Amino acid sequence: MTAAAATTGASTPHSDGDRLLDVRNMQTRFHVMDGVVPAVDGVSFTLDRGRTLGIVGESGSGKSVTALTIMRLLDIPPAEIGAGSEAWFDGRDLLALSESEMRKVRGKDIAMIFQEPLTSLNPVFTVGAQIAEQVQTHLHVRAREAWSRVVEMLRLVGIPSPERRAKQYPHELSGGMRQRVMIAMALSCEPKLLIADEPTTALDVTVQAQILELLKTIQQRTGSALIMITHDLGVIAETVDDVIVMYAGQVVEQGSVADVLLEPRMPYTMGLIESIPTVEKRGGRLSAISGVVPSPFHLPPACRFEPRCPYAWDTCRDRMPDLSVTRDAERHARCHLHVAGAASRLEAAVSQHRQNMRVGRQLTDSV
Amino acid sequence: MTSGATTGVPVPAEPAVRRRLRRRPPEPVRRALGQYVALVGYYLLIAVVLLLVTVLGVKGAADASARLVPFLLAAAGVVFVGRRVIPTRQRWALAVAVGSSLAVQLACYYILVQVVGGGATELDGNSAFFSVVLAAVGPILALPAMLNLLRARRWFNGERERQIRADEIGARPIADPLMGPARAATAALPAPTAAPTDRPVAAPSGTIEIGAIVPLPASAARDRSAAGPLLAVRDLRKHFPIHGGVLRRQIGTVYAVDGVTFDVMRGETFSLVGESGCGKTTLGRTVLQLTPPTSGRVVFDGYELEDVEPNDMRPLRRRMQIIFQDPFGSLNPRMPISDIIGEGLLSQGLTDRQARDKKVEDSLEIVGLRREYTRRYPHEFSGGQRQRIGVARALALSPDFIVADEPVSALDVSIQSQVLNLLYDLKRDLNLTYLFISHNLSVIQYFSDRVGVMYLGKLVEIGTVEQLYRNPRHPYTVALLSAIPEADPRRRRKRLILKGDLPSPAAPPAGCRFHTRCWLRERLGNPENCVTQEPEVRSLGDTGHQVACHWTEEISQTTVSEAAAESPAIVAAAVEDE
Ligand SMILES: Nc1ncnc2c1ncn2[C@@H]1O[C@H](COP(=O)(O)OP(=O)(O)OP(=O)(O)O)[C@@H](O)[C@H]1O
Ligand SMILES: Nc1ncnc2c1ncn2[C@@H]1O[C@H](COP(=O)(O)OP(=O)(O)OP(=O)(O)O)[C@@H](O)[C@H]1O
Ligand code: SF4
Ligand code: SF4
Ligand SMILES: [Mg+2]
Ligand SMILES: [Mg+2]
Repeated sequence: MTAAAATTGASTPHSDGDRLLDVRNMQTRFHVMDGVVPAVDGVSFTLDRGRTLGIVGESGSGKSVTALTIMRLLDIPPAEIGAGSEAWFDGRDLLALSESEMRKVRGKDIAMIFQEPLTSLNPVFTVGAQIAEQVQTHLHVRAREAWSRVVEMLRLVGIPSPERRAKQYPHELSGGMRQRVMIAMALSCEPKLLIADEPTTALDVTVQAQILELLKTIQQRTGSALIMITHDLGVIAETVDDVIVMYAGQVVEQGSVADVLLEPRMPYTMGLIESIPTVEKRGGRLSAISGVVPSPFHLPPACRFEPRCPYAWDTCRDRMPDLSVTRDAERHARCHLHVAGAASRLEAAVSQHRQNMRVGRQLTDSV
Repeated sequence: MTSGATTGVPVPAEPAVRRRLRRRPPEPVRRALGQYVALVGYYLLIAVVLLLVTVLGVKGAADASARLVPFLLAAAGVVFVGRRVIPTRQRWALAVAVGSSLAVQLACYYILVQVVGGGATELDGNSAFFSVVLAAVGPILALPAMLNLLRARRWFNGERERQIRADEIGARPIADPLMGPARAATAALPAPTAAPTDRPVAAPSGTIEIGAIVPLPASAARDRSAAGPLLAVRDLRKHFPIHGGVLRRQIGTVYAVDGVTFDVMRGETFSLVGESGCGKTTLGRTVLQLTPPTSGRVVFDGYELEDVEPNDMRPLRRRMQIIFQDPFGSLNPRMPISDIIGEGLLSQGLTDRQARDKKVEDSLEIVGLRREYTRRYPHEFSGGQRQRIGVARALALSPDFIVADEPVSALDVSIQSQVLNLLYDLKRDLNLTYLFISHNLSVIQYFSDRVGVMYLGKLVEIGTVEQLYRNPRHPYTVALLSAIPEADPRRRRKRLILKGDLPSPAAPPAGCRFHTRCWLRERLGNPENCVTQEPEVRSLGDTGHQVACHWTEEISQTTVSEAAAESPAIVAAAVEDE
């Protein structure tokens, strides 16, 4: 697959000068006792300055490994980054940088927020000291200035009496507050790219709403680009412009959020969206994807979704489909339904999807 | 899953109690009985020692074998008093029990005085030691047992209760096939005789003796149209002490569930929704009596579940099962599936290994797993499969009420829908009633008939899904609904975002517990009664829609959208800084 074929195409109307991140054919494998796990297998995507991209997929689909590979945070070995993998960030290939150069990029140009803030904050230092240290190393300012920056950032993310909170230890803060601290730390050096890996999965729904709103607002205010990793299509719909759907280490569908969520063109994405319980599906069964995600050691030889796909036919068992432009919609999908000659199958799949989305009784909208 | 059947549910009334179950004896009596058990064990231990001494032919063995008999007799006597005499609850039983333990003590004190006072000079060191150990039993076990019985002397009032049999309580016999034409036929069958409907009907296993209070026959227990709710919960509370400091003294209380009242109708899915730590799991466990409530009532199918005698509770337990929150932690990793699912069957008295295995395989099949899986261990299964095993474990006992505690929260969406469909099918085919616990509002909306919204140990709003999602009457419900991330980009809207985090259930705010985060209170200019007065649960008309808020009438499309519009982009993380 070429890099060109894998760009988000029409949904990113910027010229090449705006391109911030260009991941090409990234492959990350893990050598473990039972064999080799192809955690990320030929992932390509691009991200423009100031844009937001969502990565969605089920547990084990390779979302976190994609982010960690870009950040170069994986231990090598057991991880191995395949030859030919490239991750161009602002004109430099991150995968080819030396470790000391990478250390300057990390935290300064690219910052990351993790699912469980407690594990990524150091329990023996106050939160203020941890943010200040990062500010000092990357922005080369004196301690006094760094501290005022800390207070400013904590205030920005909505932490009341930031002077006092900055002197507290992570365990003294609530889950939502810790996640705010992580966001403050991530944004303290004004990174060009912020990667948030399931930033709200551990939080309650009302706090999740706060954090998502905060991330969106701050992203717009600072103009940094954002990669939002989650398994929740709702969070994706709320926060990003474009989305890539991952399945078993591969990108299977890619496009603007509205396109992918409203008019999915790959059976796995269709199934994912159909499985979300909604008002319309009340009073009926959900149409579920049958079976389970394949084991990374026994991946199906051709299309990886084939054993679970209701539309599979012979071709799907013979050849792996490419991630290519779909014929009837503005996006990319990895599926044989889009080759010439499968038009009637595609039509059947699309109309079945529309039908599955409309089972049960209708309730009018809530407040 | 249709909600039509449950609209117009009346406001919880006083639950009708069909029949009283035997109460467990009060705490002091239970402790005394425990001390009796220890006493028997002690005697038997001594008997064994004496026997060994005799067999091994130690010096003075003849002496030892002669003493064996009194100890065995003593053990038998204690067993008799504990099992036969005390349960009669007659005054004379108290006299016998106290008298006998007094006798034991006197004997012990006599020995002690002899040994310590040197009255038994012919004893050598070993025998003296042995005698002291023997005599210690008096002050250590017999005395406290006696005091405990005396403390509970009021319990000995002659009110003996009859044990209830499983079929009287309406549990399906375990052999009852769960699915398939056979079961459908029995379930659909009317009373086998032309007996009046209020007369007991012979349950499939055995006959029923007609007692003073007519028990519910098994078939009626499953009948949707039977009167009254299946589960009635009244002002239920569960508080946990917080211990701290060097001495582990109690330094506070977690008000995990703090005065909850609701009904669950037959055949409906009642859901509990709320944020982490608001007490959903605790409520579910307390309802099932897996933890004893601090106060309040739980009436299941007309049976008051308070301090029920374990023998009477067992058949009821069979009717009420739980599916646990965590599919990874709730299955014992060292047990094969056959034992995990068969455990409950065994405790219900299904000792026949083959019958049990058959039953286990049946339940596996019902949840869509292979019959051959019985020999496997939990780690060989995926999360979704494990959750299915949890469902199979609950179903093996043919319950009619299931508490499903976040059964899908740990699962991926595609697996989540498989498990939801399974629960849906089982409910339809087996006419189950669910208490469904979740923090996912979309799942709840899809899956339930009625919903209770919990906040810090209290129900703040109860209503049908239509009432709650279309016309929420509590500011917290409004905010919860507004916070759902919407996967359909066309429905994107301005959110009403709450300030702050959930306060600690160990220090709930005064007055209305929600007042620290309430947007409505703020819009109304902080009325005083929100802080000073705890809002009662009120009914809105006779629709069954209930809410606990002083100002619910002020909630309207306008107030909500105005509040949403004024929601700052960055809300404060904490409400007020101490
Ligand atoms: N350090 C590691 N060693 C071995 N295998 C790993 C390692 N990290 C990840 N993997 C494997 O790589 C695959 C992708 O994992 P990854 O963490 O990217 O999934 P994910 O999409 O982030 O899932 P989740 O939603 O559960 O976070 C999985 O099969 C996982 O078992
Ligand atoms: N055994 C216990 N001892 C002390 N406190 C407890 C105990 N069990 C629960 N709690 C406390 O009671 C409160 C309610 O807990 P519970 O588990 O019922 O909440 P929940 O609503 O189920 O939350 P979640 O959504 O996280 O499962 C919490 O503050 C919890 O810490
Ligand atoms: S390639 Fe075939 S099996 Fe794979 S998703 Fe498309 S239709 Fe299904
Ligand atoms: S009683 Fe007052 S604080 Fe409580 S929910 Fe109603 S308006 Fe808000
Ligand atoms: Mg991950
Ligand atoms: Mg819980």
